[in-house]
Amino acid sequence: MSETVTNAIELNNISVNFQNHDQEIDAVKNVDLQIKRGDIYGIIGYSGAGKSTLVRVINLLQQPTQGSVIVNNQEILKLKPVELRQARKKVSMIFQHFNLMKSRTVQGNVEYPLLGTKISKADRQAKAEKLLRLVGLSEYAGTYPSQLSGGQKQRVAIARALASDPEILISDEATSALDPKTTKSILELLKQLNRDLDLTIVLITHEMQVIKSICHNVAVMDAGEIIERGPVAKVFTEPQQKLTTDFVETSTNVKEAIERITSTIKISEFKDNQELMYFNFIGNSTKQGVVSEFSQKYGIDVNILFANIDQIDGENVGYMIAVITGDLAVFNAAIQRLSSEGVKTRILTNDVLEGGAA
Amino acid sequence: MTAIIPNVIAMKGEFIQATWETIYMTLMSAIVSAVLGLLVGVLLVVTQPGGILEDKLTYSVVDKLVNLLRSIPFIILLAVISPLTKFLIGTTVGTTASLVPLIFGIFPFYARQIQNALLDVDHGVIEAAESMGSSPLEIIFRIYLREGLADILRVSIVTVISLIGLTTMAGAIGSGGLGDVAINIGYARFENDITFTAMIIILVLVFAVQLFGDWVVRRVEHQ
Ligand SMILES: Nc1ncnc2c1ncn2[C@@H]1O[C@H](COP(=O)(O)OP(=O)(O)OP(=O)(O)O)[C@@H](O)[C@H]1O
Ligand SMILES: [Mg+2]
Repeated sequence: MSETVTNAIELNNISVNFQNHDQEIDAVKNVDLQIKRGDIYGIIGYSGAGKSTLVRVINLLQQPTQGSVIVNNQEILKLKPVELRQARKKVSMIFQHFNLMKSRTVQGNVEYPLLGTKISKADRQAKAEKLLRLVGLSEYAGTYPSQLSGGQKQRVAIARALASDPEILISDEATSALDPKTTKSILELLKQLNRDLDLTIVLITHEMQVIKSICHNVAVMDAGEIIERGPVAKVFTEPQQKLTTDFVETSTNVKEAIERITSTIKISEFKDNQELMYFNFIGNSTKQGVVSEFSQKYGIDVNILFANIDQIDGENVGYMIAVITGDLAVFNAAIQRLSSEGVKTRILTNDVLEGGAA
Repeated sequence: MTAIIPNVIAMKGEFIQATWETIYMTLMSAIVSAVLGLLVGVLLVVTQPGGILEDKLTYSVVDKLVNLLRSIPFIILLAVISPLTKFLIGTTVGTTASLVPLIFGIFPFYARQIQNALLDVDHGVIEAAESMGSSPLEIIFRIYLREGLADILRVSIVTVISLIGLTTMAGAIGSGGLGDVAINIGYARFENDITFTAMIIILVLVFAVQLFGDWVVRRVEHQ
């Protein structure tokens, strides 16, 4: 039973079907998901994967067709309407389009969750002021949302979400409408809230960059199913599924680089002793080491077309795309050695030729 | 003055009386219709598919009823509803009796307008309120009616102006007011200055409503 104590959220065998006219959509299919208290859990997937539908089951904005939902040790589906509304106050949500009330001031928006509670008007005001200070918007208390920038609106939404002292914060694409700099500052704020308030955060996104910069764990969703999950560092460096690889390569600019390279050089004109290679370095192995080892020890020529370096969970992760020229037998032996040192390699030549033919 | 509008000068008292009757009919039927229209409009929005109190049966019954009432031409409604008027008021003539057809003529229209105004309230905000644990009643009063207030006021102005038009039609069949004066005196006796003056007073009333309404809308709007 100690399991349930550490899990903030447990979704068991959740399915959601929609009946659209005469066609049935399985938006979520038999999903199991456990999220630990204090975690920052990312859910990534393309549009229509079912991410929003899945997280809306957590506070029952979406009734699941099947399955059970345990949030803060409460079986949500068994609650009476009044109890459910009480439980929802402990699971706050922020959205892509902020969803602030335009008829209320910033202060009024932040006070909203406290209306109709036993908290006195003075305490309510004081709490809203405190939260606005926390998100850095004290001087905007009397302003209406329409006069704020996107980043400021999301800060107000975060302050509002915190007013009911939630234990869980769900962020559904909260940074998708923001520019990179603002995104970064909002993610920093979420990180700080996770640390200082021990807030469990569930974060939906379609950008691996977001997952990389704040999440501890991640689940990859596709067509209503979780196809891969685990600690971010692991999923990032050892993606198992094609889709996961796609997300990782997009976030590291590798995907874009491959596209650019294959559209500018003619792979079909490669000689037999040439390959287009992708290298992925984790930890201590570095690109310089590989290049010099290849050329000096094995007499292989390495022509670097793209290189990038990233930090995930405090570890350096490097990426490189290069054209290799040399004896292929020697080359295979070299690759064997590299992989034993934690360097991942992939021959892109065939991928590209097949992809081009399709 | 007597040379240009001789008949009006002679009937000054009647004109003042008729203006008050028009204002009375408009105001009284507006108040009752506002209550009924808001109730029905909110009911339609919350019970519609995907609404916060989704109820297919209630929605489709109320929706069809509103359509039906809106389809009856007002001049026919005036006649058809007279038994009900007689039952409720005791008579079918006079300003008070005209309130019954006026209310039935306008509130379905107003309900539809309210429904449209509330449908414009951002669905995301409704969802946010639900996620914050608001009850359906709280969502109606703290979100729908408040976020939609500017639009509600806007459609209310349009409705009151339509209502002024309807009072004149009721006037034509003897309910009193400026319509009565314009048709049953001005038009019937070929006293064109009377018809014309009645029209001017009605236009002044309409503009006054419009200006006042616009001023109120400006005060509540923060977009
Ligand atoms: N209320 C609904 N009625 C019918 N179909 C729905 C409903 N909500 C979602 N769907 C369908 O369910 C599928 C998953 O939608 P969902 O919004 O969960 O995707 P998502 O991963 O959040 O996508 P996005 O990144 O675009 O927000 C889609 O095919 C969508 O059309
Ligand atoms: Mg979504």
